[in-house]
Amino acid sequence: MSDSRYCGNPDVLMSYLYEDGPGEERSAFEAHLRQCGRCAAEVASLRAVREDMAAWTPPETVLDFRIVRDPAPARNRWGWMSTMPAWAQLAAASLVIGVAAGLSGLDVQYGKDGLAVRTGWSRPAGAAPAAVAAGADAPWRADLVALQEQMRSELSRAASVPPAVTVSTAAAGGGKAMSDDEFMARVKQLIEASETRTQREMALRMTEMVRDMDTQRRADMRRVADGLGVLEGRTGAVTAQQREVMNYLMRVSQRQQ
Amino acid sequence: MRGGQAGPPAGQETHGDRVDMTVTDEELVARSIAGDNDSFNQLILRWERPIYALAYRQLGREEDARDVVQDAFLRAFRALPGFKGEAKFSSWLYRITLNLCRDVMRRAKRAPFVPTPEGMDIADLVSSDAAVKESIEDVVTRKDLGRHVARAMSLLPEEQRSAIILKEYHGLTFQEIAELQGCPLSTVKTRLYQGLTVLRRELDRQGRGPARVEGRTS
Repeated sequence: MSDSRYCGNPDVLMSYLYEDGPGEERSAFEAHLRQCGRCAAEVASLRAVREDMAAWTPPETVLDFRIVRDPAPARNRWGWMSTMPAWAQLAAASLVIGVAAGLSGLDVQYGKDGLAVRTGWSRPAGAAPAAVAAGADAPWRADLVALQEQMRSELSRAASVPPAVTVSTAAAGGGKAMSDDEFMARVKQLIEASETRTQREMALRMTEMVRDMDTQRRADMRRVADGLGVLEGRTGAVTAQQREVMNYLMRVSQRQQ
Repeated sequence: MRGGQAGPPAGQETHGDRVDMTVTDEELVARSIAGDNDSFNQLILRWERPIYALAYRQLGREEDARDVVQDAFLRAFRALPGFKGEAKFSSWLYRITLNLCRDVMRRAKRAPFVPTPEGMDIADLVSSDAAVKESIEDVVTRKDLGRHVARAMSLLPEEQRSAIILKEYHGLTFQEIAELQGCPLSTVKTRLYQGLTVLRRELDRQGRGPARVEGRTS
């Protein structure tokens, strides 16, 4: 039976080649192949192609892909806070910080030494910040302080006592008039007194400046010394490490010899 | 839902020693949806080799194929709650894999890569399972033929190549391929026929022609 319906019909050919289709159709095509040499050759060559295709295999590979369970997240005891609005969280945080600062006697200062934060527990009672840095070990420091005190007392005394010139002028107001020479001498005396006072004030300011500079210098020296100490420690560690490596290399080279 | 299938059909590569074949894919899918990750890992063990083989034959590059395997199972895992069981799990997985392969090819804008090494890797030949049954000469001949097939396959349009791979290497029915490719049954058969015809011509051109067929059939 050579049925021309089957010749060149990919539908029937593929069903037969892959044995995937109605059984009757395949039986009919098989009968056709016995009669049709062209279709038989076609089937044989396509079977050969299929056999060749079996040679194409993917390379071996490692497939270690697996689904793993995530560990259960730890229960957050502050989780309830996430439900609060942002403004309420901010207000609560400000309140806590304010109360804590009040309780601890927080003292925040920003000066030439940078930002300084002290609490009432750590700050010594009545100690001025400058006094902490200033040492009392220098012999000239006592003289400096004494000089400062003396100048302060003289200045205050000068300010409390009315100038003699004024008194004598007022006294002279009701008596005889002063001569020109006397008047000039008084003015000169007044100017000299003013100059002296200005000089003393200048000296006091200078003394205070010297004290502040000394305090700053001491603080800087201490900071530099601390920094050098850290550097020395690090350098020592690196040196020790290098020494260890050298020792190891020596041991290895001796073993090889 | 279709009848339960317990893993890939015979002849496909799996981790047979580690896979429990007494449970069907559908049962494992149901357990996975209920939150049992081990059941999904069983599905991975069953299907990772066929999926890798499909991706490799589509893309021609081992690294790309491995990436596609991971992506395919991840997508399947995430989409599992939406899997209604209207198709077989394997068909669903094949569809995901083919889509991913298409994305990779579209991104690369290239035809499948065909590895053409200068020589055979002896270590690879010795380590292969087939080497136990075959002589080294047979293995070399087979690998050489495999390279010819790969090169010829790379010349095919994507639809023809997919149809041939799914039918030839994965044993899907015409109907399943038609569903995967979204085309009529007759189109699948036509694609197969046209693809096989091109392959035959290319293999003949490479010296694997009628003489070989005659020798085999005689």
